[in-house]
Amino acid sequence: MNLFKAELRRILRRRLSLIFGIVAVAGLLVLCTLVWFNSSTGPTESDLAEAQAQADELNRQYEDCLADEEFFESDEWLWVTDDPMSEDMSHTELCDMYIGNQQFTAADFLWVYTFDFSEEGVFMLIGVAIVAGLIMMMLSSSAIGAEWSSGGMSNLLVWHPNRMRVWGSKLAAASLVCAASVVGLLAVGFGLLYLTASVRGEVGTLDGPWWDENLAVLGRTAVLTLGMTVLGASLAMLGRHTAIAGGVIAGYLVVGDLLVQIAGGALKVPFPDRLSLYTWVMAWINGKIELYDWSATTSSSMPDIMVITSSEAGLLLGGVVLLFAVLATWSFQRRDVA
Amino acid sequence: MPPIIEISGLRKTYSRAFRQPHHALDGLDLEVAEGQVHGFLGPNGSGKTTTLRALLGLIRVDGGTMRIFGQTVPRQRPQVVGRIGAVVESPQFFKHHSGRLTLQLLAESAGVPKARVEEVLEQVGLRDAAKGAVRGYSLGMRQRLAVAQALLKQPRLLILDEPANGLDPAGIHHMRELLQWLAHSQGVTVVVSSHLLSEVQQLCDAMTIVSRGRRIVDGKVADIIAGHSGTSLSVRFPDAASLPEAVEALTTADATVTAAVDRERLVVQGAPEAAWVTRTLADAGIYLSELTTETKNLEMVFLELTGTAPVPGETVQIGGSVVPPAAAPVGAPAPVAVEAGSGEAEGAER
Ligand SMILES: Nc1ncnc2c1ncn2[C@@H]1O[C@H](COP(=O)(O)OP(=O)(O)OP(=O)(O)O)[C@@H](O)[C@H]1O
Ligand SMILES: [Mg+2]
Repeated sequence: MNLFKAELRRILRRRLSLIFGIVAVAGLLVLCTLVWFNSSTGPTESDLAEAQAQADELNRQYEDCLADEEFFESDEWLWVTDDPMSEDMSHTELCDMYIGNQQFTAADFLWVYTFDFSEEGVFMLIGVAIVAGLIMMMLSSSAIGAEWSSGGMSNLLVWHPNRMRVWGSKLAAASLVCAASVVGLLAVGFGLLYLTASVRGEVGTLDGPWWDENLAVLGRTAVLTLGMTVLGASLAMLGRHTAIAGGVIAGYLVVGDLLVQIAGGALKVPFPDRLSLYTWVMAWINGKIELYDWSATTSSSMPDIMVITSSEAGLLLGGVVLLFAVLATWSFQRRDVA
Repeated sequence: MPPIIEISGLRKTYSRAFRQPHHALDGLDLEVAEGQVHGFLGPNGSGKTTTLRALLGLIRVDGGTMRIFGQTVPRQRPQVVGRIGAVVESPQFFKHHSGRLTLQLLAESAGVPKARVEEVLEQVGLRDAAKGAVRGYSLGMRQRLAVAQALLKQPRLLILDEPANGLDPAGIHHMRELLQWLAHSQGVTVVVSSHLLSEVQQLCDAMTIVSRGRRIVDGKVADIIAGHSGTSLSVRFPDAASLPEAVEALTTADATVTAAVDRERLVVQGAPEAAWVTRTLADAGIYLSELTTETKNLEMVFLELTGTAPVPGETVQIGGSVVPPAAAPVGAPAPVAVEAGSGEAEGAER
């Protein structure tokens, strides 16, 4: 317990934690500010009047055309009467064709974006949580990697010879920090976006089913961030360096995933999308994802469909995290501390 | 009284790709008695740090037994770890934390009272520097912090790998006083590895010298030096021409004596006593002008024992030291327990 508390303090007292904390909160504020200024519940009086004027102006032209039989005789429209096409047409038809009976309203000249919390808020919160998860992954891998590369680890092990307890405390401390900061960030994000929506947009209906569905989604996202934290820590433990963990993760997400998909495509694996990690992450967060296989499809038949549910995705992603955690545990237990 | 540290037949082999495995420890033995400052010496790469790491459970060993406070480690390390304070070679700390925070975190993790942190900071002379980040510490300051960290839990056994590394003269002096005080009035057992032989000579009560992963000698520092001084006599003659005659006379009188010409003088080893040399030479009609007993210091003993004495125009390479016991020093007399099976003399030290 003492060790756990000390590890917790060790993470919290790091400068990187402070920096990441500031970055996360600042990012959230920027997001809310952007929404705040882009969203509005309706146009102001003057905007409305201006838009109405524009609509009236265009509608009046059509009415002018109808009222004035000579409308197309003017120099400006002479080409219409010269056109052989228009010879058989009545005047009204000409007006319809060249001026158009659009019956414009003010709304056609107003572009208003109204932020709808019940529709879009959760997507934003998922984004916030994923960014927080990435940050926590970096933080946890650097907490362990820096301990290795600075040589502090051998010092710590002289004090605490039970390596499993050291590793367990570090992992638990990192997970707790992750969980607390993700939940905290989500709570603050929820509050700020709700506030933004109620002042500058629409909150929408947050009824029972809404809560059921979205709490589940957010809960799964939070679990995902925990998994990312554990993965980051495990990779740093395996590689004994922050850069190795970061390199492996970034390398896989940017290049590895693509290579695997290209290889899958070359081997004509059905449903190549399922080779992408992102597919599984989406399935985990959304609850399920449908993949379509177009390869055996002719124009008439329907594509094959494959459904990945969140439990399948959870098994796979959890398995990957567990695999690395076990490898890290094993290597820490066995290997010499140089 | 059983030794505080008992190591026997310790082996550690590093396997190397495409090369012969390297035996860093090759059946090393070590005993450290309670309440003494024990020096742990050996040429570079002889396995000192490896031994201490193994003792502290940082590396696995491939054979041998280790006991601390009578408990077998690594199995029973949890029982003894609270009583051990250690610094292992060039201590490193997380650079962005302050010295104080570094110690506080360790103290907190092991349930050591907070007040102890200030005490040890004071003790190693870091009180005023404790606020600063470790990144800004000099080598000696880091070393002091490491020692502070080792002292934090008021250990009964202090293991220090090259603690004097980087310390200024005042720091070395202070360290010596501190360690001697700990050992002699607090009853703490101290093991120090060091290359500063004059320092070891002043600081340590007993010592163990290792070479290529094996012990070549151990015992009281004074005994080891005494065992090697006085055995060598330097003899000069009025006329350098009498040197070969003198060699002849001495070696025929006693075949165990070695006499070697070193420029203008004769170096006699293995002679029973100085008087025997004068008498033998006088009997042969050779008169000497000067006879001195060479008092050696630890450095000379060390170089001789480890076979790393410098040869003009050559550098002693790492791993070029003697391989005990085959290459045990020539003519080493009884008081020194050379590892060639003279367990008796060793036993006498304890
Ligand atoms: N991690 C390692 N991998 C391979 N060989 C190693 C490793 N650590 C130590 N060795 C080898 O073990 C031998 C003993 O090293 P050790 O560090 O114990 O020497 P030392 O006596 O402490 O030397 P020094 O006086 O220079 O500190 C050396 O030959 C070294 O090359
Ligand atoms: Mg060393």
